[in-house]
Amino acid sequence: MRACAPESDGIVVRDGVKIHYARYGHGDPAILLLPTWSLVHSRCWKLQVPYLARHFTVVTFDGRGNGASDRPVGAAAYRDTEFAADALAVLDAVGVDRAVLVGISAGGLWGLRLCAEHGDRVLGAVFIAPAVPLAPPLAERTVTRFHDLIDDPAGWQLYNARVWRDRYPEFVEFMVGRICSEPHSTKQVEDAVGWAMETDGEMLTDSHLGVADHDEACARRLAAMVTCPMVVMHGTDDAVRNHAASVALAEATGADLVTLVGAGHFPQVRDPVRVNLIIKRFAEGLRR
Amino acid sequence: MRACAPAADGTVVQDGVTLHYEVYGAGATVLLLPTWTAVHKRCWKLQIPYLARHFRVVSYDGPGNGRADRPLDADPYGQAAQVAYALAVLDATHTERAVVVGLSRAANWALGLAAAHPSRVAGLVAISPALVLGKLEPWDLDARADLPPSAVPLGGRDPQAHWAKYTRPYWLEHYDDFLWFFFGQCFTEPHSTKQIEDAVGWGQETDGAVLVAESHAPRPGKESVEEWLARVDCPLLAIHGTDDGLVPTDRSEQLAARTGGELALLRGAGHLPNARDPVRVNLLIKDFVERIHHESANT
Repeated sequence: MRACAPESDGIVVRDGVKIHYARYGHGDPAILLLPTWSLVHSRCWKLQVPYLARHFTVVTFDGRGNGASDRPVGAAAYRDTEFAADALAVLDAVGVDRAVLVGISAGGLWGLRLCAEHGDRVLGAVFIAPAVPLAPPLAERTVTRFHDLIDDPAGWQLYNARVWRDRYPEFVEFMVGRICSEPHSTKQVEDAVGWAMETDGEMLTDSHLGVADHDEACARRLAAMVTCPMVVMHGTDDAVRNHAASVALAEATGADLVTLVGAGHFPQVRDPVRVNLIIKRFAEGLRR
Repeated sequence: MRACAPAADGTVVQDGVTLHYEVYGAGATVLLLPTWTAVHKRCWKLQIPYLARHFRVVSYDGPGNGRADRPLDADPYGQAAQVAYALAVLDATHTERAVVVGLSRAANWALGLAAAHPSRVAGLVAISPALVLGKLEPWDLDARADLPPSAVPLGGRDPQAHWAKYTRPYWLEHYDDFLWFFFGQCFTEPHSTKQIEDAVGWGQETDGAVLVAESHAPRPGKESVEEWLARVDCPLLAIHGTDDGLVPTDRSEQLAARTGGELALLRGAGHLPNARDPVRVNLLIKDFVERIHHESANT
C-alpha cells in the first residue's frame, strides 16, 4: 500500500521511448521530482511525494532504463539531454508550464541542463548531492577502471562494465551500501536494491557512458547560464559524491548551500523530514 | 539531544532504594512504569515527546538501571516493592491519579497497583503483558549453556535454541552477548537495528549481577493475577503485537476479556511495539486517556 496515490499517470513517447509519469496533489507551484541514475527509479521519492503533494502539484517520472519506462539500448539514449527532453515532454503531458525542479545525484545533471537551456520552464531548482563534475571524485573512487578486466574486484573496482555484465547483483549491493551509508539504513538499502534489480548491467553501462562527456567544462558552461533561484544540499557523510562539488556548484550559480550534517548520498530516503521541509520552504517562496 | 526535556525531575527513596523520576508536559497524568531492569526509562523515548504535548507524563527508573540504585539482593525487585515504587513516585510528583502504562512484566505492577489502590489509577494500559495466567513452563535459570555468539550485531537472527542463554551463568559471563540475543528476539520486525542498538546500550548501563539479583525475586503466579483481574475495575487497554516472540497474544486477549477492557492487536509487531511502532501505540494511548477523561467529565 502506498501513502498517496497519483491523481493521474500516463506515458509519453519520445523517439519511440516510452516514459511513464505520475502526477500527485494540487497546488502552486508544481514540483518536478527528476529521475536520478537509472540504477533506481521514481520510487526513490517515496518519502517526498506524500508530504509535498499535500502542498503542491507533484510530478514524477521513471528515468529511461528503469521502472515503468522503456530501457533503450545504446549510450546515446542516456545522454543528459535525453533525460532533460523527457522532463520537458512530461511537463507538457501534465500541462505544467513552469516547475520547481528537484534532482538527486545524476538528477542534478538533467536539472542543470534544464535550468541552463530551458530556463523558461524552470521556476527554481533544488539539487541534492548533485553528480556535477565540479570537484575531484572521492579518493576511494580513484581505484575505478571502468572498462578493465580486474581480478577479484572489490569496493569501487566493482564500478566496472564487466562486473555489471556478469555480476550485477554484487555491484548493486556494494553501490547501494555506499549510497545509504548511514547506520540503521536496512530498510532504505532493501528498497534501493529492489529498485536496482528491476533493471540490469547492460542498461547501467549505457547510462554510465551516456554522460561520459559531461565534464567539468560542460558543467561550468551550464552553471554559468543558470538564472533561476537554486538550493544545493549535500550530506557531510556522502560516500558517493564529493561535497566539494556542491560547494562549487553553489558558488558558480549563486545558489544557497545547505550542508546536511551526518547525511549520506540519499538524504531524501534517510533524512526525509529535513529534505522535505527545505523543498517546501523553497517552493513556497516561488509561489506566484 | 532529546526531542523534549523534562519540566521537572528528582529522586525518591523507597525502602532504601533511590529512584529517579522525570515529569513532562501538563494535564491529566500518564505514568509510564519502568519494565525489566535490562532497560530503563529511555525505553519510552518515542512516547514522551508525543504524549507530553497532550498530557502530563511521569516516568521513572526502577531499581537496577538508569539513574536508580542497583541493589544486589532480590527483595527490591519483587512485586510488592515495585508497586510501592509506583506509589512513591505518584506521591513525590503530587499525582493523585494517573493512567498507568505497564510494558511486559510491568503489567504485573500496574495490575497490582490498580487492585490495591484503585483511587490512584484512572486507567490501565498493558503492552505485551508478561502475566502468568496458566502453568509456568519449568525453566532452569542456573543451567549452563555453551552457545555461539549472537548473530544480531552483524544484522543476523538467532535460532530459538539460543533461549538457553537466558540463564544466570550466561548473564554473569556473557552479558553483552545475552543483550544482543535478547533484544534480537524482542525486535522480530525487519529493520530494527536502531531499536536493538538503543536497547543493548541501555542494557549495558547495568550488568549481569543485577539481572541475577532481580531473577531471585519471586514472580507473581496465576493466583495473584487472578485476584487482580477480579478486583480491577478501571478502564483497561491491552496492546499486543501479533509477532511477539516473548509473550503470547493470549495474555492480552484474556486480560481484556476478563476485565471488560479493550484489546488492540498490532499486526506484525513484536514484543516492544512502543519502540518499533510508536505512532500506533501513541495514538492508542492518547485516545484511551482522552476517552477516560471525557467520560469522567460527563459523569
